[in-house]
Amino acid sequence: MNPARQRAALLALNNVPLALFATALLGFGALAPSFLSPANLLNLLVQASATAILATGATFVLLTAGVDLSVGAIMFVAAALSGKLLLAQGWSPPLVLAGMVLLGGLYGVLNGFLVARLGLIAFIATLGTQYLGRGFGMWLTETRAMNLPESFTQLASARCLGVPLPVVVAALVIGLAHGLLIRTPLGRQVYAVGQDAAAARKAGINVPQVLWLVYGVCGLCAGLGGAVALAQIGSVAPTFGMNREFSAIAAAVLGGTSLFGGRGRVWPGTAFGAVLIQAVENGLHNANADPYLYPLVTGGIIFVAVLLDSVRSRLLTALGRRRIRPDEATVANP
Amino acid sequence: MLRRWLNSEYLVMLLTFAGVVLLLPFTPGLATGENLANVLLTLLPLLVLACGQTVVLITGGIDLSACAIMAVASVVGGLAMNGQTGWLAGSPWATPVGVLLMLGVGLAIGAFNGFAVATLRMPPFMVTLTGMMFFGGLAIWLTRSETIYNLPSAFNVLGGRLPLAAAVAGGLALTVHLLLSRTMYGRWLYALGHNPRMARVSGVPVGAATAGAYVLSGLLAAAAAVLYTGQAETASPFLGQRLLLDVIAATVIGGTSLFGGRGKVLWTLAGVLFIKLLDNSLNLLNCSFFTVTMVKGAAVLVAALLDATRRRWLEAGT
Amino acid sequence: MSPLLVFEGITKRFGGVPVLRDITLALPAGITLGLVGENGAGKTTLMNILGGNLRPDAGQMTWDGRSYAPAGPADAAAAGIAFVHQELNLFPNLSIAENLFLTRFPRCGGWPLIHRRALAAETTRWLREVELAAPPDTPVERLSAGERQLVEIARALSSQPRLILFDEPTTSLSDRETRKFFSLLERLRARGLTMIYISHTLEDVLRLSDQVAVLRDGALVAHGPREEFDKDRLVTLMVGRRLDRLFPVRQPAGEPVKPSRAAERADAADQTSQASGRPKVASVSSPSAPVLEVRGLTRSGVVHDISFELHAGEVLGLFGLMGAGRSELAQILFGLEPFERGSIRVRGRPLASPRPIRCLREGMAFLTENRHEDGLALEASIADNLALVTLRRHARHGTGWLNRATLAEAVRGIREAVRLTPTAPDSAPVRTLSGGNQQKVVLGKWLLAQPQVLILDEPTRGIDVGAKFEIYQLILQRAEAGAGVLLISSELEELVGLCDRMLVMRRGELVDELRRAAFDRERILRAALHERSVA
Repeated sequence: MNPARQRAALLALNNVPLALFATALLGFGALAPSFLSPANLLNLLVQASATAILATGATFVLLTAGVDLSVGAIMFVAAALSGKLLLAQGWSPPLVLAGMVLLGGLYGVLNGFLVARLGLIAFIATLGTQYLGRGFGMWLTETRAMNLPESFTQLASARCLGVPLPVVVAALVIGLAHGLLIRTPLGRQVYAVGQDAAAARKAGINVPQVLWLVYGVCGLCAGLGGAVALAQIGSVAPTFGMNREFSAIAAAVLGGTSLFGGRGRVWPGTAFGAVLIQAVENGLHNANADPYLYPLVTGGIIFVAVLLDSVRSRLLTALGRRRIRPDEATVANP
Repeated sequence: MLRRWLNSEYLVMLLTFAGVVLLLPFTPGLATGENLANVLLTLLPLLVLACGQTVVLITGGIDLSACAIMAVASVVGGLAMNGQTGWLAGSPWATPVGVLLMLGVGLAIGAFNGFAVATLRMPPFMVTLTGMMFFGGLAIWLTRSETIYNLPSAFNVLGGRLPLAAAVAGGLALTVHLLLSRTMYGRWLYALGHNPRMARVSGVPVGAATAGAYVLSGLLAAAAAVLYTGQAETASPFLGQRLLLDVIAATVIGGTSLFGGRGKVLWTLAGVLFIKLLDNSLNLLNCSFFTVTMVKGAAVLVAALLDATRRRWLEAGT
Repeated sequence: MSPLLVFEGITKRFGGVPVLRDITLALPAGITLGLVGENGAGKTTLMNILGGNLRPDAGQMTWDGRSYAPAGPADAAAAGIAFVHQELNLFPNLSIAENLFLTRFPRCGGWPLIHRRALAAETTRWLREVELAAPPDTPVERLSAGERQLVEIARALSSQPRLILFDEPTTSLSDRETRKFFSLLERLRARGLTMIYISHTLEDVLRLSDQVAVLRDGALVAHGPREEFDKDRLVTLMVGRRLDRLFPVRQPAGEPVKPSRAAERADAADQTSQASGRPKVASVSSPSAPVLEVRGLTRSGVVHDISFELHAGEVLGLFGLMGAGRSELAQILFGLEPFERGSIRVRGRPLASPRPIRCLREGMAFLTENRHEDGLALEASIADNLALVTLRRHARHGTGWLNRATLAEAVRGIREAVRLTPTAPDSAPVRTLSGGNQQKVVLGKWLLAQPQVLILDEPTRGIDVGAKFEIYQLILQRAEAGAGVLLISSELEELVGLCDRMLVMRRGELVDELRRAAFDRERILRAALHERSVA
């Protein structure tokens, strides 16, 4: 493919998420008109809030070409701990919330330590901490489900200026994250590290510091997302948070974040991806589809998203290659 | 000195035996014949799975869908062979055809993984992670999360009776060992893992070799399903859900590198022994399941750390 | 007025091979110094020492009257030295502004927030300097190669250095961009900025510099005001005889090493070639049949209309400067990269869409430019590396079962043939070997396949003299055995010593062809250098 065609293909690929989103909405709307009702759409946003928060954190890590497979376990541990504190120690809900977020942050720092300081490969390090977390959480809950009191679950249905609290929290997180990535020096350096960590080091960027940041943020988001999900579900079962890292990564990749690092935005990208993932589940539910099909459909969508990402990555590499005869290649540029 | 020790091939074996010896006084049930036989039996499917994982890791990839493949294979076998509603119910050919079907499932999914990684050039961990979700869901969907009973006794013997099961597993492990150490294909796989660019220039069929590794992993996962399903005498879509950690832990602890180019069936055997004995002794000590999970998680991290440290030493020395 | 930068006795060796010898040079402030020299003359090493990436083995530097010994690039930057490298160090996924100020964003007060307006303003200021009319928030990946180079230059300028070093800054620039760049240099010069300008485009160097320095073989062979130099003198200085370099390939002494039939026949044809002034392909009816025929090979942006023949028993050299496209051509020939037009024939058989496996089967071999990247598996053993290409010969058809005895024998044989160090056992990882021995392993791996077409890309790069000699012998042996050897090298001496014929490549095209009898170093170098006529 010559450069002009490559660039066109790239343009198409970069806009796929939005196109997918629109198609999904329209498709599900066609299948079951109730899908597009304002009530359902609002419901969709509420349901998607937790995933959106988790996916925002995942975006940070993915931007550095890393991955965090322990997000679900973080949710679980945070939820288990908070359940214990709420039920046994009688802490107040806001304090518990803060505790969950803090715990998530600490967990993220652990992940950051393993990756940034000890140099472990991200996926095996977070796979290991995933199991550590699951085990610890199971120990905390003694494998029993914990039902949280009303004082906590009512947070899910609370409203702030008429907007459901989960959505407000998600919007705040997305806004902050977006600002951090786009408007702060450290945020821009995240993109540089993801593009080429060695070059970033040469350019004078403190790469370990950047890595600490992204895993820490991911952990914080996992804790907060866990809190939101917990408030909505109301109990901590042993399967709480199971596979959530997966939908978080899927939302980010669907939203245009690349597994290879250096590319992706929290807004509009990941946010749309999260809503899309939720919309798929919501739409399937509305269309009375077999619930056993959900993981299949989601898996299929994620596969396509990752495939497109791989294609895009290869195109970018091909375009970036040095030209020995530059005048030929810049025919498009006068 | 420390370096040489850590690099030693026999480190894990030594650690395993040391660990067993240490724990012996505290775990009276450990050394009984019955216990050991039980450990051995449950170890066999893990060994077969881990061999498949070893092959994939040597090429520098990973197969996170291995246990999901096992679940689908198990379910397909159950659907085909079970006495009540099975497609082959009652037929004298039930067991052989059932086994073939199961292997076919492993082959197909493995081929799909191989295609995605080799031809579509997608990152292995993401492809197989997606596969894990998709095929895990598929298995559940196929049985509507029910377990399937009533499998032919000929089939159950394959996995359930020690001598036969050990022969099957041992034979598979030996085959993989021979493939890796004595055939051209094995050399190709190592070359791929060491330096894929160099392998390509040197005439190694990179695409075919990579895909082949995943096909083999899928086949072995299906074989493990045969053993495991036979042992449990039930086909379940949740089969092996907890095994993934054990598989990865066993291979990495055994010494196979996550970076590719380095791994042996013998090492994996040591790793499997280590994990299984660890599991067993912790259980006998009445440690909770969570403790066991956490210890295994920590073991994976330590092994990965050793691997990364070893790599850093090597790079520094160049 | 004391000089701004002084090099005193700078010496550097890589594994015993001297790369810089006793360089002593004083650079006054406000001067533009043009630095020329062939590949391997030491320019890059000197630059790396100045930039803090390497430490000299002997000698010292003085900057602004004070001792200067940078421990890393940060020290060089802090001192006020900026570099514009040939290989761009930009992040294509970030904008121009972000690339410029990645580690020194203007902030809003004390907050860790980027002051966007200040950033845009600052960036625009520097973009105006280099006359790049792109908005500061343009992602770099949307820029052409020439525009990216201008961004790189803007980045160097934005640190407001006292010395800027340009390494081949105009390779990706169009004519118009080059003109603008030159006027920028004039402006900088007028402001009193000190500059070092490294380039193979001699006219540019002569036009822009106040002083010129010539490096050859690691030594400073000339340094003086520009008026003392012209293009011819520069070429002569760059090329000169290397009397102290051992080149023990002529043995028996004095006699040409290879009386190849092709060369003798070609000498007769040479008259016609020289008369027409164009590179002429050897006649197809020569008794040494061509083992490789390339016609009109083109890949847009990389190589253009490459045509040549390689005959059995011939050593054909391919000379060119770095970036001329030689390695790319080799990669296309061996099927690692595609081509768009043209044809390749190996021993008379067409090779339509080459792949390495296919090329191997047709009897080709390719020793790549970078043995660490794609020549060796550093962790694997010597034996494994040596055996890789020819495994099939020892494998049972179908099962792939290896005959370890014959394999070990083959390994032993080739170890002896290439004179690999006997102290390392077969099982030792290749990483433990010296550079020369490592290269012998790569060469041995390919020689085991007994190739008819042997393509070698910089086979003696980074190797000590002794190993070089042995590798030369191996190359000639293979040619004598009937193979055609395509030898790509940046070392003119090496090619002059070994080859029967030589091709010169420049900017993706073949620009000259010479027979051994007509080998003229200056003619060759002149052909390889960039010809640029910018008004």
